[in-house]
Amino acid sequence: MITASGITKTYKQRGNMLGARAVPALRGVDFAIEKGGAVTFIGESGCGKTTLGRIVAGLESYDGGDIVIDGTPMSSLKPRHREPFFRRIQLIHQDPYSALNPTRTIHQTLAAPLALRAKQTGRGKAWMEERARELLALVGIDPGYVLPRYPHQLSGGMRQRVVIARALTVDPEVLVADESVSMIDVSLRLGVLALLKDLRERLNVSVLFITHDIATARYIGGDGELYVIYRGQVVESGPTEQVISGPVHPYTQSLLSAIPVLHGVERPGPERVVPTEALNEAHPDTGCLFARRCPFRTDRCEAALPALVSDGAQAHACYHPQRRNVIPVEAA
Amino acid sequence: MTRTSAPGVRVKDLTVVYKTPAGELPALGGVSLSLAPGTITGIVGESGSGKSTLALSLLNAVQPPGRIKEGTVEIDGLGNVVELTGEELRRVRGRQVGYVFQAAQNSLNPLKTVGKQLLDLGRSHDFDDLPALLKDARALLGRMGLDGGRVLDSYQHELSGGMRQRVGIMFALVLNAHLVVLDEPTTALDMITQAAILKIVRDVHHERGLTTLIITHDMGVAAEVTDSLAVMYGGRVVEHGPTTEVLGAPRHPYTKGLIRAIPRLSGDIDEARALPGRPPTLGTIPKQGCVFRERCPLRIAVCDTVDPEPVTRDARTVACHAVGRLATPVVPKEYV
Repeated sequence: MITASGITKTYKQRGNMLGARAVPALRGVDFAIEKGGAVTFIGESGCGKTTLGRIVAGLESYDGGDIVIDGTPMSSLKPRHREPFFRRIQLIHQDPYSALNPTRTIHQTLAAPLALRAKQTGRGKAWMEERARELLALVGIDPGYVLPRYPHQLSGGMRQRVVIARALTVDPEVLVADESVSMIDVSLRLGVLALLKDLRERLNVSVLFITHDIATARYIGGDGELYVIYRGQVVESGPTEQVISGPVHPYTQSLLSAIPVLHGVERPGPERVVPTEALNEAHPDTGCLFARRCPFRTDRCEAALPALVSDGAQAHACYHPQRRNVIPVEAA
Repeated sequence: MTRTSAPGVRVKDLTVVYKTPAGELPALGGVSLSLAPGTITGIVGESGSGKSTLALSLLNAVQPPGRIKEGTVEIDGLGNVVELTGEELRRVRGRQVGYVFQAAQNSLNPLKTVGKQLLDLGRSHDFDDLPALLKDARALLGRMGLDGGRVLDSYQHELSGGMRQRVGIMFALVLNAHLVVLDEPTTALDMITQAAILKIVRDVHHERGLTTLIITHDMGVAAEVTDSLAVMYGGRVVEHGPTTEVLGAPRHPYTKGLIRAIPRLSGDIDEARALPGRPPTLGTIPKQGCVFRERCPLRIAVCDTVDPEPVTRDARTVACHAVGRLATPVVPKEYV
């Protein structure tokens, strides 16, 4: 349904007397989202995953490559003609505390996009009211309680559900969820994740899930595709469960190794990988982008950037791919 | 009077109230908790559970409109810190009890280099040998994988989140405090940086012989580094015991629910279940009865009226009527 090919994006840092510096945020990213499917991007902060989400939602321009929606390349359209395409892709913001206008009640918040929708479809006020209630019920909150209230009167979990309901007002086909549970209390987090999973099943919407927490990706999109992104490049991809249980790229292995082990319930994976250095944007990008931090690097890694190559279902960008057991195992 | 060994801490019947338009509301309702010398204790709880208030009480630093209403906090070598005031209290903070504040990434002064702030700290604690203090700081930063000299010459905006977090830990340790409190030390850091910081916390704890308290909302963080784990809910410690036992065989229904709500990397992902309901806020903590009963699958009549007393058995403490009274293991109702 949506195909992105070779997306590149470079941010220009404002120059000083030595000149401007170009920061590549995305270095040619390819992926596809199917109807009702789930695609997850994982990576550290600063890896370009948020930029990617904003590009897919039409909120950010891209420098190279193209996004094709239902066969129409977006580069062939004028910006105002792209709008109806991108309206079908809605972004759920990271922070439910700043995503809602504090001076508007939830009723007002939902009424604005619903009015637009009503105008398009020639329906009236009564439909808007009914639809607002229907959507809030769909995301699992009591419309009678929530509608007259302001955002500050609601808990984080409720606010995030309102944000999701607002995204649903325009009947989107894709939800882009960027770290959408990281600011919510632990006991409520899984409820919001379950809601996204449920929406996938009930409304057949696709979810583009952007996170640094791989376990939540497994919960929402265990049946989908996982892309591991590092400094703007996809370094490993494949079916989510397969990549998690059999990662071959040392960066994927580092990410999985860094997830805390629930001692008492699990035992650490026997081959955990720890990067030799911290992330540093100043590391050279002539060779493999991860080479400086990689415990397994060789001279070859620093010479040229490895391309993403596929071996069947799984793809990786590494000269020395090797499967390692890094994820925790259930304690007996 | 600087101690050279890890102190023990005993919090007893601590009640902290916050003054609100609706009267004084308890953020902590009679909490008792002991930290054994030389151990890492974790406190896990959601927002509003009172975990940060408890941590601040160790410094007697609860700010108005909050106040410590009742109870004692005994720290070996310092006595009851609730009774300390003014100059005495100021000297204890930093020197005896190191504290890494929540969002330590943003708690540095943006107008001064790290080194200047370190000298301020030394002067305020009457250090004569400031060069030695700088040397210690450089060594500590080096120990945490940073270039000490460069970091001391840097302003906060020149450091990354993970580096600032390490600077916060350096400040907590540089005066040679042997009791260290870390409030949410890894929030807002990504996984690999988090793992690196947690390893540093654990290594430094052992090398320097500390008593460490870690406050977190993340069960995984607590599981990774702590020896002993306390779970807080609605201003109470509802369960406390050795970490692997609490995680492996949780007794309180809240602990059980919390562990089940964590999506994991192995096993059947669909076994993860959300906890029904939501955590109470200061205003909605029930006045009487168990604070967890609204979300509890084991609720019985007595829960509505009587706040369960913490009961300790085989080094494990649980505050629950349903668990405390049954000698045989409980078969819990399924969460839906």
